[in-house]
Order: sequence, then structure tokens, then C-alpha cells
Amino acid sequence: MSRKPYKFILVIAAVVLLAGAGQFERLLNQQRTSKELGLSRVADLGSNAPPVLAFTTVALGGFRGIIANVLWIRANELQNDGKYFEMVQLADWITKLQPTFTQVWVVQAWNMAYNISVKFSDPADRWRWVQRGIELLRDHGLRYNPTASLMYRELGWFFQHKMGQNLDDAHKFYKASWAKEMTALFGGPRPNFAEFRQPSTPEAEQRAHLLREKYKMDPAIMEEVDKLYGPLEWRLPEAHAIYWASVGLKNCKDNDLITIRRVIYQSMLISVIRGRILYFDTDGTPVTAPNLDRVALANETYFRLSAQDTEQASAIKIAHRSFLREMVYHFYTHSREAEAEKYFKMLKELYPEFVPGNPTMEQFALERFTQNIENLSGDRIMVVLSGLLSQHFISLALDEDKRAAGFLRMAEQVYKYNDERIRLRREPLRIPSFDKIKETWLEQMLNPDNGLLPMEMILRLRTRLNLPADERLQPGGTSGSAAARAEVKP
Amino acid sequence: MKRVFAIAQLTWKAAFRFRLFWVLTVLLLGCVVVLPLLIKHDGTARGFTQILLTYTLMTITALLGFSTLWLSCGTLARDIEDCQMQVVAVKPIARWQIWLGKWLGITLLNLALLMIAAGSVYALLQWRARHLPLEQQRVLRNEIFVARASIKERPPDIERFIEQEFQDRLKRTPVPAEEQPQVRNAIREQVMARLQVVPPGFQRVWSLDLGVHKNFLRDEPLYARTKLFAARTNISGTYQGTWYLGDPRNPASRILPASLAADTFHEFQVPPNIFDEQGRVLIVFQNDSDTALLFPLDEGMELLYRDGGFGLNFVRGLMMILFWLALLSALGLASASFLSFPVAAFFSFTLLVIVLSSGSISMAVQDGYVFASGPDTSAASRFLDSALMKFFKGILDVIGLVQTFSPVDALSTGRSITWIQLARAFGQVVVLMGGLIALAGIFLFSRRELATAQGTQ
Repeated sequence: MSRKPYKFILVIAAVVLLAGAGQFERLLNQQRTSKELGLSRVADLGSNAPPVLAFTTVALGGFRGIIANVLWIRANELQNDGKYFEMVQLADWITKLQPTFTQVWVVQAWNMAYNISVKFSDPADRWRWVQRGIELLRDHGLRYNPTASLMYRELGWFFQHKMGQNLDDAHKFYKASWAKEMTALFGGPRPNFAEFRQPSTPEAEQRAHLLREKYKMDPAIMEEVDKLYGPLEWRLPEAHAIYWASVGLKNCKDNDLITIRRVIYQSMLISVIRGRILYFDTDGTPVTAPNLDRVALANETYFRLSAQDTEQASAIKIAHRSFLREMVYHFYTHSREAEAEKYFKMLKELYPEFVPGNPTMEQFALERFTQNIENLSGDRIMVVLSGLLSQHFISLALDEDKRAAGFLRMAEQVYKYNDERIRLRREPLRIPSFDKIKETWLEQMLNPDNGLLPMEMILRLRTRLNLPADERLQPGGTSGSAAARAEVKP
Repeated sequence: MKRVFAIAQLTWKAAFRFRLFWVLTVLLLGCVVVLPLLIKHDGTARGFTQILLTYTLMTITALLGFSTLWLSCGTLARDIEDCQMQVVAVKPIARWQIWLGKWLGITLLNLALLMIAAGSVYALLQWRARHLPLEQQRVLRNEIFVARASIKERPPDIERFIEQEFQDRLKRTPVPAEEQPQVRNAIREQVMARLQVVPPGFQRVWSLDLGVHKNFLRDEPLYARTKLFAARTNISGTYQGTWYLGDPRNPASRILPASLAADTFHEFQVPPNIFDEQGRVLIVFQNDSDTALLFPLDEGMELLYRDGGFGLNFVRGLMMILFWLALLSALGLASASFLSFPVAAFFSFTLLVIVLSSGSISMAVQDGYVFASGPDTSAASRFLDSALMKFFKGILDVIGLVQTFSPVDALSTGRSITWIQLARAFGQVVVLMGGLIALAGIFLFSRRELATAQGTQ
């Protein structure tokens, strides 16, 4: 055969084979994604996936799993040897190899925030790893899995549990660092949503940019969340847990939304228990106190969420029941009997089987108080102490000195009991000194803006304690709008 | 030797002629420039330096390792296949000299490339470090850019304790001969527990002897590296304790509260001048948690101290990498001595993969089986397993000779690579392993009939 026709035939054959391969490829791709075969999953990464991700998911094909395994093994070995400097890189590679596998993101983020962080003694080192865990989910994981409820749940949990709770010895450092970051971001104690949406100064523009680019938060959704659940104390981690869970509720359509709703109602409960920042300690830790004014809102949240989740409504109702039981005695210890009665009535009506023997509200509250006092957490001890101190100051204002002394003694005993209880973790669980709590809570009660006491009671208490007159209480003073809720029976 | 060098020179010329040297130089320098832009780190200057050091050195080693195998297989096999070797072999030069010349040429080529690449890594690290805040520079100087040696507490003579206890027990209560091993084991467990376990509220004391090193460690910070296990996990995952560092009469002594996670290493700074006149450092841990903590005898406490500078340690680390490359070139040349180029390359890479898979092999050896796992497995499987285990153990022993050295790991954690370790690495990797492979390669090459028709022609 002469050379020309030979080459021509070869070209034709190549074209035919290429076209045939193209047809087969389509068929093969359909088969590999079909449920029957389920050979491999083709990840839909969206159009903005970085080239390295497109490369790893397409070019490596089935080898991705093997490479991911090797990286997992290396990560485990290094972790066992206490070498963590590669972990961020390895987690990045592992997640990039399986970008739509939600569990991989969650496990890697959890490992950094929970397992690796506690391996360090210095709180700053621990905080760095908690941040790395949050960043992995928030900055990368959600980008490829914007509708995965597990990711939102986990992110919310990091804020609610890792930063919000006191199980980690460095929890105060986390709270202080976060409050500092948020104060800088908001340019004050609260975010100005309108300015975040339409910044008017270069500085505001910079902060708005930071909010969107670094913290990946949308001011419009923040405002929406704040209206629905707030006003929230955005310097505390619970507000962010509620934010991310709310974004999850908006974006996710799967059947596992109860986990996200749980983050919301649990964080709402925490915002009642410690929703008010009293002051910042010398190390920057926010010292918090209960905010019983948020109980009504939290209560509504339970109702709304259980109405939304018809399948898991019973789980939310169980949580609601515990919430009501707790609120009754918190209101009672804060001398807010009317609200205590209201929620006690609600508890009896909605969950009668949990109020056996038809007790009075007072009997019920006292019983709960004595049952719980042994196992109160750090935040709840502040609720009880502030409640007892409220009773002490109200009694003083009413010239019931013996009763006042009794409440003060009781508060001192509770403080001492707690101090003994936390002896093995004194530093992480330390609360301010009794005198400091007493002084700060008195300031809160005397502040008319807080509405903890009626105006007349504030004046009587100031007189009783020989305190100078407060200009806010003078005619034409700056306050006077607060509606006092405490029921005081002279 | 002149003839050997002449062949080495020819190998160099070939490397330049085929632009291999320049391509590798560009690749190596590229990885030094590009890697810092790509890698993600924990956010600290220390972490970044550690990962940069690890990944650049690992990439350089991998690139040079693969190119060495390829080159060493190619340079000999292709010369034979292209009949160029026939022209060389008829010259007054012995086959072993040709073989050694090629090996030397490749090794010197690796040395040059390693110097260029590692030199740029070193320069990059120093340049970056100089632009850091002073505090971070201090951390790097003390923890990474340093060669730290370590001392541990002298292990107690456990066997003597056990024997003494055992004899006391025998005197108190006679034990039948067949039960004596169990009694001895029980005593061993008790002795180990007494030495390692710190019950709640109790203390563990370590006395670490710096010896003559104390003379060089005035005003130098020391680092304690510790690991513990907890008898019971708790909700926070950490255990409270207090470190008492140094003799309380020493003004440099310190008390540090600690919150320690179990099952991991913790490293913390010990103030300088904490040792006494004899160079002894006293470290006490008080267990303030509510659970018993166990400090293992081997890893429970280690004191790290400055043994030298980073520069010389870095050079020793590079020398170890060069030894590995020398071994790989011997392997490549040995395979090319009796195989054609593609087969030699395949054979060498397969051996490399086996070495790199030693982790899986060692897991199989630990499990004790590959096929048989239950009582109902066939005799054939059991026989196969038994044979494989022996084979795997043999492989692991051989690999262990090479893999016991980890220069990249030592450099990234600021640990000292001593001259003794370097000499041992040279002996085990180059002289023993490389020598055996070279002998086999030279033997095969000397016996090879160069003029026969080659399989690839």
C-alpha cells in the first residue's frame, strides 16, 4: 500500500475511534453514576471550583480514595507522635480529594477543634486549632456543600459547645478572643446592620468586607436572625451558633434538620442563662449573667420549631419541658413570681405528667432548686447566685433585714459549695469573687435601664445602702423608660 | 582511581548533554519557590517553618530519588543496548571500574543538585526568619533552628526489683514451680505500676543528669517533653497537675500549673540554669486530677537541650539523604547490570515501592497473618502465612537498616543528628546495603556478555 492512502485510512480510523470512544464515555459516565451500579460518585463541585480540585476529582479518578487513605494514615501517625504542623495541610488535601463527602469535612474539622486543640497547654495554641476547625467548615466545607445540614450543625456546635461551654480548660480564652474579635468587627458592642449593608465610611466598608470575606456572614441574614431571636449578644458564641443554624435551615432541605433546630433552641436557652455581659474581666473574659427577659422569646422558639418539624416535634417538646421546669425556679429565685406562675401553669397544662401531686408553684420551684443545686454548672450557678442576691437586695429595700441576711447567707453557702465542687478544675471554672458578683449584680439592679426593679425600689435601695443619688433617676434624667418587672410586695 | 573518575566525568557529561542536570535544577528550585506559596500551615511561624522544611526536603528527596533510579538504570542499560559499552569495555579499564565510575558520577551529581536545592531551602528559611518579629525569631532559634539532644532518666534495674520481690514472696509463701512464671509476671506488673503510675494527689519525681553538658548550657533554655496516659477519660479531655521545675532552693526554680491531654507528647520550656552543681535537673509532677496518670518509663519524660547549631545539623541531615540517594543509584545500576532499561527501571521502582510500603508489611507482621485469621482456616493458608511472615520479617530487617534514620523529621523538630548517627547511617546504608548491592551489580556486570544481541534491539 502506498503511503498516502495508508495515512488517510489511519486518520479516518482515528476519528471514528475517537467518536466511538466519546459515545462510550457518555454511556459509561451514566452507568457509573447510576444507582444500580454505584461504582463511583461524580462530585458536582459547581463552576467556581479551583483548578486543583477539578484536577484531583477528575484526573485522579478512582485513585483518589487510595491517596486519601495514605494521607489519613500519615495524619494519624503524625498525630500519635504529637506532630501537628502538617495537620492543616493534610486536612486540606484529604477534604479536597473527597470534597462532597460531608463526613470527611466534619471529622477533619472536629479533629482540629476538639482532639488537636486539647493537646496544647497554651490557650492561644488551643484557640488557633479551634479556629482552624471552624475555618475548614465555614470557609471551605460549606462552599462545596452548601446544602449539607451536618456541616451547619457542626459549625453551630463548635460555637455553642466548644467555645460556649466550659468543658475545655481554655474556654475563657476562646470567649475572650471571640468577644475581642467581634467588638473590633462591629466597631462597638453591637453590629450596625444597616451600616454593614451599606457602609458609609471607608472604615465601615472595611469592616463590612471583613464580615463577608473573613467571617462569611451576611448582614441581611444577621439582621433577620437578630429580629427573630434577639436582640442577640453577638459578642458571645451562642449568637453565632444561632446564626449558622439559621443559615442551615434556610439552605438545607434534607430530613436531618432536627440537628440544626436543636442548635437553635439550645443556644436560646443558653442565651437566657448567660445572655447578658456584665463586664469584661482583666483577661478579657466576658463575665455573664442571666437574662430572664429572653425567656418569652426562647419559649416562642420552642413552639415555632416544633411546629416546623412535625416529624421530630416530640424531641423538641421534651427539650421544651425541661426548659419550662428550669425557668419556673429561675424566675422564682429572682423574685419574679408572676412569670414563675405563668410558666408553671404552662408546664402543668402542656406536660401534666411531669408535675405529679399537684404542688404549688413555690413547692415545685423549691423542690427543683434543692434537686439541682448539687449539679449546677458554672453558668447556672450565676443564675442562682444572682437570684438569691436579688432577693437579698429586695428584702433590704423593704427593710426586711432578717430575710435579707438569710438570702445573703444562702448565696454565700451556694458560692462556697460551688467553690469546693470545682476544686479539681478551679482555674477554668472559676467565677468572680462573691463580693464582686454581689457588687456587679447590685449595679445591674440599680440600673433603671435593665428594668430589674421598679423605680421606687431602686430609690429605696439606694437610700438603704447609703448610695449617692443617681442622676438618671432625677426628673429629666437619661432613663426612666424601663419597665420594672419585679413584683415587690411591701 | 583515575579511570573511575574518567567514567564519572563521562556520566556528568551525559547528564549535561541530555539536559538532565538543568531540568532537575529548575524542578528543584521550582519546588523551593512554589511550595511556600501552596502549603497551608497552622498559622504560627514555627509551624510554617516546620512544614516548609519537611515538605521541601521531602520533595527534593523524592525528585532526586526517582531521577537517580531512572538515571542509574538508563546510564548503564542504554549504554549496553546502544553498544556504546562495547567501545568502553575494550579500553584498558576493568568492569568494576566502569560500574563504580558510573555510581560515583551519579552520586556526585546528586551531591551537586542536593547542595543547590538544600542551599536555597536554607537561604529561604533564614531570609523568612529574619523578617519575623523578634519573639518569633527567638522561638525558631530555640526550637527549630537548633540541634537539640535529649536525656532521659536512667532506667531503673527493674529485673533486680522483680527478682528481689520474687525471692521475698517465695520466702513468705512457697509457690509451685509451674506457677512461678505467672507470679513473676504479676510482680512485674506491680513494679511497673509503682514506677509509672501517679495516683491522684501524688507526685512523680524525675532526676535528669545533664552531666558535662551543664557547662555549655548556662543561660540556655531547656525543654521538657512528656507523655502521659490516664486511667479514666474525663469530659474535658485534659488532666490538671502542677510542674515543680528545679530544686526549690534554686532561685531559678519554677512552679507551673498544667492542663495536660493524655496519649500525646507535650513540650514546654524549662527555665535556664535550673540544674544543680552536678548538672542534675529535678522535675516533679503533682497529679491534681481525680484520676491516676501513667508516665511511661521510656517516653514519660525527656529533657531537650541545645547540642549545636542548625547549620551543621542541616548538613548532617543532607548527608543522610545523600546516602539514601547513593543506595538508590547502586540499586539502579545493579538492576541495569543484568536487565534491559525498561525492566531494570520497573524492577528498581518496584523495590522502592516495597520499601515505601514497609508500614503495611509491618502491620501484617504485627497481626501475624495475611490469609488465616480464624481457627477454621486451611492448613495451606496457615503454611503460606508462616512462610510469608518469615519473608516479611526478613524484608523488614533489611529495610530497617535504611529506614531507621529520619533526617527530615529530626531537622523539622530541631532534634540533633549526631556524628555517630551519621557514621552509622554511612555504615548501614552505603557500606553494608550499598556495598552488597554494588558487589552483586559488579559481579553481574562483569559476567555479562556485552556483544550478544540485546532484547530491545
